[in-house]
Amino acid sequence: MAFLDNSGDIILDAVLTDTGRMRLAKGDGSFKIAKFALGDDEINYELYNKNHASGSAYYDIEIIQSPVLEAFTNNTSTLKSKLVTISRTNLLYLPQIVNNTDVGLSSNSTNNILTVLVDQSTAEDVAIAATGDYINGYRIGDTKSPIVMDQGIQSNAIGDGSSVVLDADLVETQFMIEIDNRFGNIWDASGTSRTTPSFIDDDNVATYYLSKSTNKGYFGKSGTSMSGEVLKGPRGNRLKFIVGPSVDLNSSTYLFTQLGSTATLGSAVHQIDTTVRITGVTTGYRVDLPIRFVKKQ
Amino acid sequence: MATTFKTLNSANDVTSTRTLLHEAIPLTGTIASGTYSDLNVKTYSHGMFESVYDYPYLSSSANHIFDVTTGYSSNSAMSGASSVQNSKKLNIYSQMAQVLVGYDATGSIQNFDQDGDIAGGGTKIKEAVFVNFSRLLSKDEIKKGSFEMWVVTGGVPNSLSHRMTITDDGAATSYKVNSPAGEYGILYTGSGVKDANSGVGLVYYQAGVALLTASIFTSNATDSSLGPGYASGTYESLATGSNIEGMANAFRNRLQNVSFNNTVELNSTVYFCRASHNEFNYSNNPTYLSESQIRVKNSTTDNPVSYVTTVGLYSSDNELLAVAKLSEPLKKDPNTEVTLRVRLDF
Repeated sequence: MAFLDNSGDIILDAVLTDTGRMRLAKGDGSFKIAKFALGDDEINYELYNKNHASGSAYYDIEIIQSPVLEAFTNNTSTLKSKLVTISRTNLLYLPQIVNNTDVGLSSNSTNNILTVLVDQSTAEDVAIAATGDYINGYRIGDTKSPIVMDQGIQSNAIGDGSSVVLDADLVETQFMIEIDNRFGNIWDASGTSRTTPSFIDDDNVATYYLSKSTNKGYFGKSGTSMSGEVLKGPRGNRLKFIVGPSVDLNSSTYLFTQLGSTATLGSAVHQIDTTVRITGVTTGYRVDLPIRFVKKQ
Repeated sequence: MATTFKTLNSANDVTSTRTLLHEAIPLTGTIASGTYSDLNVKTYSHGMFESVYDYPYLSSSANHIFDVTTGYSSNSAMSGASSVQNSKKLNIYSQMAQVLVGYDATGSIQNFDQDGDIAGGGTKIKEAVFVNFSRLLSKDEIKKGSFEMWVVTGGVPNSLSHRMTITDDGAATSYKVNSPAGEYGILYTGSGVKDANSGVGLVYYQAGVALLTASIFTSNATDSSLGPGYASGTYESLATGSNIEGMANAFRNRLQNVSFNNTVELNSTVYFCRASHNEFNYSNNPTYLSESQIRVKNSTTDNPVSYVTTVGLYSSDNELLAVAKLSEPLKKDPNTEVTLRVRLDF
């Protein structure tokens, strides 16, 4: 993936993504561009120097000089960070989404990653179970705690989260979860019901939209009522969910052999590492959680 | 309400355009007749045509550039049971005529016409050499008025004094439309008079086929000859005594140059992505915040700033269908409005 020539006028290098081509090929009218978003994937805002000795014209000199890569055709590899429209210009703080391991599932103490035990023999293996926190993929409801994601402001500079509420236009009321559909699926916090993906793209990435109004089982207490919080400042909503294993991982070692590796986690196991992506639909803030599926050999 | 998407207004933000692109295609005679000692010429066991590549055809980097074949009508004097590969030569002619000229009112395949006035009678091209260009070269069509071919019709194959320059002179404004395979022009010799009786072939622009009348090689023509080793030979002598492959070889060795411009019809949809002064001034880039504070601001009175590097075009269900990248970051703040023009070509 080369850089674009930036020696002259600004040019635009446009390509269809693989999903775009797939929809175009279907010929069923599903290729219909309805909206746009702007992204800044290559920008490192840490390079913005508000104290540059030469003055404000030089604050962003290093950012402006950043080379830009050619367009990716893989729809999941681009537009990872988007520009956000908020009509107010006086915001100094923006909310983030963080993984709350104080009240939610924490990384397995042995392998330091969120771990899903995919079948009965793995979940009932005493040696594996003793290695630390895990999701019980055989009996989802027996999982000690779900994955918890809190939305809000990390800093208490604009007030303590227990008394100050987050501005309504910054509260996430809908989250998007993306996961490789070959590996896992999304369950509610109690592990009693599995939700259906909104769509699965050509790369097998399943997208789930979870809305506070219709998916109550995935949301915890919010705002000032939130307990066990890790955010110091004003808070929005809390998302709670469990990642369950797919039938393929439960019943076969094929994907483990093809895409995974072997290791020792109490016992000898197969494992596959992947990520679960959680995105706030309102602000577009996105977090990638590493997760490991484990199956006893 | 914070948002990361902006809906495109189909009336004001989306438009369609059509552009014709041309590229020059020069084919030198050495490609057709000897650069690679004929390793770039593929022959077939059926012997009905041969294919010329731009590189030895067994190489994966070789590109097919054109095919050469020949044939004659059943009305031709050369047609006869004693002629070598008689039925295949008839079949080739019929097949090409069927596709390029079509049928008459009785359903019979019509012959190629010298001046393109099929219904008006006149001289028919009953024997022809066909050069079928690959779509890789001709693309959507050959540009009218740009076709030129140099053929040595007498003497030894590389003779300069016997070279005939054949063009579709005047076809940019005067071409025929009575073919089922699209538009075509008449080929004339560079020095000759251009009238109804002087055409030496036809070029079918959309089909990417050029055909030359065999009369330029027959004994009736002045200065005529065909084939290496057939210095005094004629088309007639090969048509009856040689197979199609031999005739194609003979023609290739007398083909010195072909050049034309091809045409690609580019249909584009242009999306005008407009960011107003109060839009897209913040970012959810992980580096945008430090402990939730916006890095590019010191105080609430500072303007937010963001930098655009990418435009994503989405479906209504938020699937990313197309991506456009800017060649350099574009600053966006409340003092600026930008319109990014994204063109998708189909």
